[in-house]
Amino acid sequence: MSLIEVRALTKTYRQAVRQPGLRGAFRHLVHQRYTERVAVDHIDMSIERGETVAYVGPNGAGKSTTIKMLTGILVPTSGEITVDGIVPHKRRMENARRIGVVFGQRTQLWWDIPVIETLSLLRDIHEMPAQEYRKNLDFLTELLGLDEFMHLTARRISLGQRMRADLAAAFLHSPAIVYLDEPTIGLDIAVKERIRGFIKQVNRELGTTVMLTTHDLGDIQDLCRRIVIIDHGRIIFDGALAEMTDAFARERVLHFQLRTPCPTAEQELQRIPNVTVSGLSDTELSVRFDRAFISARDITGAIMQIADVSDFRIDEPSIDHVIKRVYDGTLNLAVRKGGGA
Amino acid sequence: MRLILRAWRRNAYLYRRIMGQNLRAALEYQSDFLLSVGSAMLTQVLGLVFLGVVFSRIPTINGWGFWQIVFIYASIFLTEGFASLFFEGTWRIGYFVNHGELDRILLRPLSPAVQLLSSAIGMNGIGNLLVGGVMIGESLTHVHMVWTPGKILFSVILLLSGIVIRTSINFASNCSAFWVKNAGNAVPFMVHSISEFAKYPLTIYAPALQALVGIVVPYAFIGYVPAGYVFSTSGMAWIAVLCPLVALYCAAVAGLILRTGLRQYESTGN
Ligand SMILES: Nc1ncnc2c1ncn2[C@@H]1O[C@H](COP(=O)(O)OP(=O)(O)OP(=O)(O)O)[C@@H](O)[C@H]1O
Ligand SMILES: [Mg+2]
Repeated sequence: MSLIEVRALTKTYRQAVRQPGLRGAFRHLVHQRYTERVAVDHIDMSIERGETVAYVGPNGAGKSTTIKMLTGILVPTSGEITVDGIVPHKRRMENARRIGVVFGQRTQLWWDIPVIETLSLLRDIHEMPAQEYRKNLDFLTELLGLDEFMHLTARRISLGQRMRADLAAAFLHSPAIVYLDEPTIGLDIAVKERIRGFIKQVNRELGTTVMLTTHDLGDIQDLCRRIVIIDHGRIIFDGALAEMTDAFARERVLHFQLRTPCPTAEQELQRIPNVTVSGLSDTELSVRFDRAFISARDITGAIMQIADVSDFRIDEPSIDHVIKRVYDGTLNLAVRKGGGA
Repeated sequence: MRLILRAWRRNAYLYRRIMGQNLRAALEYQSDFLLSVGSAMLTQVLGLVFLGVVFSRIPTINGWGFWQIVFIYASIFLTEGFASLFFEGTWRIGYFVNHGELDRILLRPLSPAVQLLSSAIGMNGIGNLLVGGVMIGESLTHVHMVWTPGKILFSVILLLSGIVIRTSINFASNCSAFWVKNAGNAVPFMVHSISEFAKYPLTIYAPALQALVGIVVPYAFIGYVPAGYVFSTSGMAWIAVLCPLVALYCAAVAGLILRTGLRQYESTGN
């Protein structure tokens, strides 16, 4: 059995419907109306020990809701979860001993207590042996650079420092699994890189399983071998990151700078299969093509004959682009269950 | 059994640890601290002055003399003092629920009840403790009675029961936040204000009110019933035996409400 097993997991929220204005508020008082909002809709997923999984999707897709169910905060409306053999919301405390969690938008630290005291309280809560605590603390201090703000209260530290402190708190008790919900939100590039480096190192050296949600595609590319895409509460892709980029890396876009306008380009190029004009102005012509069927050289040759070209460049497809098209619905990926393991 | 004992010891230890940190944080804001203690004391002294005025007109209320009523009054303050000083966190349950801060509590391997109770320290409780303590002391010196070791012991048990009852009622009423989802949830304040009735002998009220304060929200077991025991009021010594049981019952109900609430806790969208 996998470390994390999710079957037909569903969460429906009850959202109050309130008409705007004071009258609406009063009406709500007398006659409460609710709509059901399906945030997570029958998802299946298995995650193995030591995997790094990027869990992505547009805003409101249901990522945080899934994480909250996996961590035991929310009770699912239906479906099943087991994490390391136990059902998180039924045995919350036991589950909490084995996991580390960071919600980027909200700190888990005690607000009015110095960071180092928070860590020491967590040591007691997790009943860590003194030796293990010292070892982990040294490791975290070094990797996350906690020294500069260790003695300040969570209230007084900056966002980037807070995120580092939160990571330290999440990793302190050597959890087998960490759930990171937007751990790099709002951070500068240096801190981001530091945090990515940290996560990579922990995964590599301790075999910690990482599940990460993010809107930063750099995080995904840097950290994760597997990507799960969720949209409207449903999983629309689950597979290896490389597999996904391979499948779509065949597509290229060539941009030509034009010295003189070439209004007939579209018509002329229709003759060549597997090539479409994706943009045409007086100064630039862009064509999209599939590398498997035609080479950039052939296209360039054809275009040189019909237009007066001064310069050109080629766009590699970025993962960014692929994911954006999946969100937009212009790219339809088949769901491959349990892939990437 | 050993396991349960161990769990309780661990809870008590972690509770002390967290409260120690809260105390340190609270002391950083010293002027706030003095102000809140001062204003708490002032409110109670005013209540006492009012009581004095009433008693300057009538010698007894339903057979209870001035100092005996002061004792009931003071028991309410004293338990209130303990409850705010050590369990002020009950009043923050609504905040935790409405702002999704409960998430972080559910992510730690420590009982949510312990974490909620220890989430704040109410320094104004010191004011209540001082006034309540002095008043109880005064009332005991003004009423003649015989103290035996047994009576002292049971009185302490009554005080502890009172603290548990008070805290449990606060806890349960604040758990209403799981269902009443607006920020200004009035339920806990309403329930709390019922304790005003518990400052006087229960017998002065109509039966419906007696049932409310004696059974539904059993504040009567904090002041009135213990006073009946301490002053050996006829027929009441036996009722006092119920106090520890009522305390256990209240704690169990509060725990049940928390568990039910947690099952339907929905966190927040962001
Ligand atoms: N506590 C809640 N009560 C009611 N509805 C909620 C709650 N939390 C989330 N939702 C709804 O559920 C849906 C999924 O929300 P969720 O927070 O899981 O999205 P997400 O994928 O994490 O989005 P984002 O990228 O913006 O963080 C949204 O439509 C949201 O409105
Ligand atoms: Mg989210």
